[in-house]
Amino acid sequence: MALLLPWAIVYAAFFIYPFVYSFFLSFLDYNPLNTAKTEWVGLANVTRLFSDAQFFQALRNTLIFVLGTVPATTVFALGMAVALRGPLRGKDFVKAAIFLPSILSMVVIALLFKLLYAPGGALNAALAPLGFAGHGWLTDTRTALLAIMAMDVWAAVGYYALIFHAAFAGIPEELYEAAALEGAGTWATFRHITLPMIRPVLAFVLVINTIRSFQVFIEVFVMTQGGPLGTTNTLVLYLYEMAFRRLDYGYASVVAYAVFVLSGVLSIVAIRRLRPAYGAGAGAAG
Amino acid sequence: MKSAIRIAVLVIVMIVTAYPLAWMVSVSLKTADGVGFRYYQDIWQSGPFDRYFINSLIVVTIVLAGNIVFCAMAGYAFARYRFRGAPLAFLLIISTIMLPKQVILVPLYILMQRLGMIDTYWALTLPFLADPFNIFLIRQYLSSVPPDCEEAARVEGAGELTILFRVVMPMLRPALAVVAIHTCLVNWNSFLFPFILTNSTSMRTLPVGVALLSQGAHSVDWGHLMAGAVISALPVIVAYAVFQRHIISGLTTGMSR
Repeated sequence: MALLLPWAIVYAAFFIYPFVYSFFLSFLDYNPLNTAKTEWVGLANVTRLFSDAQFFQALRNTLIFVLGTVPATTVFALGMAVALRGPLRGKDFVKAAIFLPSILSMVVIALLFKLLYAPGGALNAALAPLGFAGHGWLTDTRTALLAIMAMDVWAAVGYYALIFHAAFAGIPEELYEAAALEGAGTWATFRHITLPMIRPVLAFVLVINTIRSFQVFIEVFVMTQGGPLGTTNTLVLYLYEMAFRRLDYGYASVVAYAVFVLSGVLSIVAIRRLRPAYGAGAGAAG
Repeated sequence: MKSAIRIAVLVIVMIVTAYPLAWMVSVSLKTADGVGFRYYQDIWQSGPFDRYFINSLIVVTIVLAGNIVFCAMAGYAFARYRFRGAPLAFLLIISTIMLPKQVILVPLYILMQRLGMIDTYWALTLPFLADPFNIFLIRQYLSSVPPDCEEAARVEGAGELTILFRVVMPMLRPALAVVAIHTCLVNWNSFLFPFILTNSTSMRTLPVGVALLSQGAHSVDWGHLMAGAVISALPVIVAYAVFQRHIISGLTTGMSR
């Protein structure tokens, strides 16, 4: 298939080959400054991982990040989508406004929130009546990770709200009319009509967002570099540190594979969700 | 939901969304001598944001062209031909969409180093020329279109490439628009790989330039930092203002099924 050739070359050279090579690297003590000294160390890098407190701190932080942001984002996004359902004047403008953060680079967003969270920043100014004056949200070990999580929810929620909004459009209006005739309230309607009808989309959103959140890096790289005291260190930041600050390529590859395996488990769920599309021919582009 | 509550919810959401962004713009404009574009001028000239901007533009243009052509070719092949290994190859493509790309960060860096491509446009573009997500999109779109036109062209003796570029590509226009939106956004905003694969100021792209500005001597120089952030976001926001509906539906519709 000559048509597949350009893709196959790019894919083989810049994905499959590095992917396999990374596996190989995991067994090496690879010193990029002196490649002649590279040694085969077997499973030493792997056993090191299991006794590496910093790795487990990064894993723990990443899990807190994922388990905190994904449900919060989903709940807020659903609420926004419910508020958007039905006729509304200026709906396109509202949609455009809430979607705006989704098109911005995370670098820009992280930088902006670093300023908002600064001791003299806008957040403290807004919270001044509550006595938060001068609080450094990103320098306090108790609030740094939470502050980054809140930012991530801010950045992601509009995107998922509009995905839910689009999914709501596929629910037959008669169902809502029938519910209204029965005298069902907002919550009952949501619980018994909206939620069951969008279950596949909901599952898809949860998986996509979980996998994406698992890779959290730019946020912490720009805002805290993993500090204070490692409380915002994440798996991908740790991988970056090991590879490009410590130049420990072998160990970094093991960390990379840990990220890969952990989110691979989640991907399998995602593929199950996407798989029926193959052969069914649903127009994904709409 | 009562319409008063609906409106209240949406107004609050819009304020919470807009406030930080308005703050960013206002900090970038408020200079010691009143409101003005001094911070913008400073970093455009000395940043050097003019260079970052051009680099971002070059990279996105090349990657976009590659994705349009290569993904159309591959998507067409997957949609129209039954060949050995097709389901496996397509499964690979779907898995790649989901998997964390960071797993290849180190080996890709080593590979680029061996190829002597670190700090060149090659490193910034080659690995990203055929995004599996785009192939998936095109294949799905094409599967919903009957192959009548292509078969008519084939009967008239047109070659495969002629059919692809003259018959299929025009039909694919809506899907290619989504591919273009997705590719431009992802690559314009991309940070980790461009950051790792370059090391000189003259090869940095905008997001990398902005992030590095925040790590250096300018780290608390918020006026300049926010001006840099606005410059890197501005082309995206302008495009968004013009193509807003297309961008929103392009990025969400495919996901809601």
